[in-house]
Amino acid sequence: MRPGNLGANVTLFGRRLRDRGLLVGAAEIGDALRALTAVNIADREEVRVALRTVFASSAADLPVFDEEFRRFFAEAAATETPPLPNADDDGAQGPEGAPGETERAELSVTEWSGEEQSPDEERSVPAYSPAEVKARKDFSAFSADDLAAISQLIMLIARRIATRLSRRMRSARRGTLVDLRRTMRRSLQFGGDAVELLWRRRRVRKAKLVLLCDVSGSMDIYSRFLVQFVYALQDALGRVESFLFSTSLTRVTDALDRRDIQSALAEASRRVPDWSGGTKIGASLKTFNERYGARLLDPRTIVVICSDGWDTGDLEILVDAMRALRARAGKVIWLNPLLGSPGYEPVTQGMSAALPYVDVFASAHSVRSLRELERHLRGPRPSSRARAAAWARDAGGDRP
Amino acid sequence: MASAPRPATFGGIPQILDVLKEQGYIADRALATSVHLSIVLNKPLLIEGEAGVGKTEVAKVMARALGTDLIRLQCYEGLDVHTALYEWNYQRQMLRIKLEEASLRPVEDKEHVIFSEPFLLKRPLLQAITAERAPVLLIDEVDRADEEFEAFLLEVLSDFQVSIPEIGTITARQIPYVVLTSNRTRELSDALRRRCLYLWIDYPSFDKELRIVHSKVPAINDRLAEQICAFMQLVRTVPLSKVPGIAETIDWSAALLALHRDHLDAQAVEETLGCLCKDQEDLVRVRTQYLAPILDTVRTAGLATDGWNPERIASLAAQLPKTR
Repeated sequence: MRPGNLGANVTLFGRRLRDRGLLVGAAEIGDALRALTAVNIADREEVRVALRTVFASSAADLPVFDEEFRRFFAEAAATETPPLPNADDDGAQGPEGAPGETERAELSVTEWSGEEQSPDEERSVPAYSPAEVKARKDFSAFSADDLAAISQLIMLIARRIATRLSRRMRSARRGTLVDLRRTMRRSLQFGGDAVELLWRRRRVRKAKLVLLCDVSGSMDIYSRFLVQFVYALQDALGRVESFLFSTSLTRVTDALDRRDIQSALAEASRRVPDWSGGTKIGASLKTFNERYGARLLDPRTIVVICSDGWDTGDLEILVDAMRALRARAGKVIWLNPLLGSPGYEPVTQGMSAALPYVDVFASAHSVRSLRELERHLRGPRPSSRARAAAWARDAGGDRP
Repeated sequence: MASAPRPATFGGIPQILDVLKEQGYIADRALATSVHLSIVLNKPLLIEGEAGVGKTEVAKVMARALGTDLIRLQCYEGLDVHTALYEWNYQRQMLRIKLEEASLRPVEDKEHVIFSEPFLLKRPLLQAITAERAPVLLIDEVDRADEEFEAFLLEVLSDFQVSIPEIGTITARQIPYVVLTSNRTRELSDALRRRCLYLWIDYPSFDKELRIVHSKVPAINDRLAEQICAFMQLVRTVPLSKVPGIAETIDWSAALLALHRDHLDAQAVEETLGCLCKDQEDLVRVRTQYLAPILDTVRTAGLATDGWNPERIASLAAQLPKTR
């Protein structure tokens, strides 16, 4: 790195990182420059660590940072000159250097910008298929014309559930603490005797919500609505983590964290590699437990699984995953769209295997059933004794 | 906003490394560099990493390197401003009111007196802000506090001033050096992340862990220490709900030493597995599925001389049995 071009280089590097989603703005670039004055700039490792300390802000940023750092300095080394002396033009025009160097720098920037468009970005949300319409008064029964109206309604319901939930959470449990400060103030009027005790409420602990939605082929008719529902709940409630799965699990919390629902859904569908594919519920839940369980599950977490229970994978994996999930989460709700059809019994092997570990088994086939969901989202299981009993039962079983 | 000039005695990265060593904390240069930058840029340092990798220690080392006080705020669910910032000393207020019962001073005056600074109980945040010398403020496990508290914290970390209704606004005399730790049980807000410099502490490498074991359990012999560390490297690659950290390694080493073991065998590990796995399911899983293959791997691989580098550990781990 040439000291003369330090500012431009750091700015360009910061921009690249920002393009890749790191939280980098003018303030961070300023900090980075200050940081470089505080370390030995001739020591590549120290420069790397210093820039990383400033530019990265989560563990997920680290591999991205390292990759970009390597790329940036490989370019610098290859050209014996900083990649781009002028950061303002972002590579549109090459620097006034030797022609060879210019080409090299431009090439790398082109390579870079080419990478932003991944080939599967064109994929859109699977369309609702009118051919699948069945004569049931559920999601599958609406005509394509109704779709927009239904979507709107679903958003409305999700918002209402969310606001109702947060209001209930605020006013739950009466305060049991004496507000000493206000009591003391009041007591001054009575010469210091606390004639009247004033109370304050203990902060109410909010439930967290984890949504796991099946988007495999067998759920096609419903998943479009359910994902919208997930989007709307997350948008309105906060404290929601959302995942989609079919043969594998994809976290979509940040994909859905966009103001515009269309782009949110498009981004979510882009990330799911196997939308409308087969179903491996057990494997997906297992992945969830291993990768996110420790961070997301605690006795105040409500886990909502939306799936029809058609599992093509190993049932034992499903049972193990459900057991682990239930042991850690406060409440497990399974929404099954098939439950709405008359005469449905949870006979799919997957469903009957999972059922013992489900606290609430409810339907999600119609707008009305989604509305009723609110009842179940109120809070974790009331009795810890029931849980202990279930645990003892499991532990006493013939486990390996 | 006042800025805190760093103490003249502060010696930069080499001094941080020295202090780390003195404290028995085996650290790498990357960690020292991050700590150094946090001090020099006077920006809060957010430290993340799995439980048991020594995040909290860093703040202690930082205080020691700067020769200043460490003020700790332990976060938990429901932590509120009264616990974090200030509370009135009600007993003292009550006594004062009783003492003044007979006085004819107007109520407003009395009120003014009992809601003044001498009656204030300073909690960690206020202590840090009002300290004469910039202290190190450790905000431990910030992910356990509520979002609301996080927002409040962000405000304090931005302005380093707080307002107390009865007294007014208190502005920091010196900007404290702030260290935040998080176990990532919850995602922190982007706003808070942007306020902070970032340091990720990983599980230690084989070599680093070996040095830690030798430094914390000096009586241990080389062979056992190496076997323990190799075992730890491998056991961290298998799916467990609570992955053992450095503290577990040290406990385990001490336990094996107390049992007069000089090498790892199945019996020794079985007897002491509780030091490693703090979760019933993990314990069963390790005992039934992983104990024998890991021991085998440690035993056979231990004979080779090329050391336990990350690539080698990854390839050895790949040979362990998969979960069902």
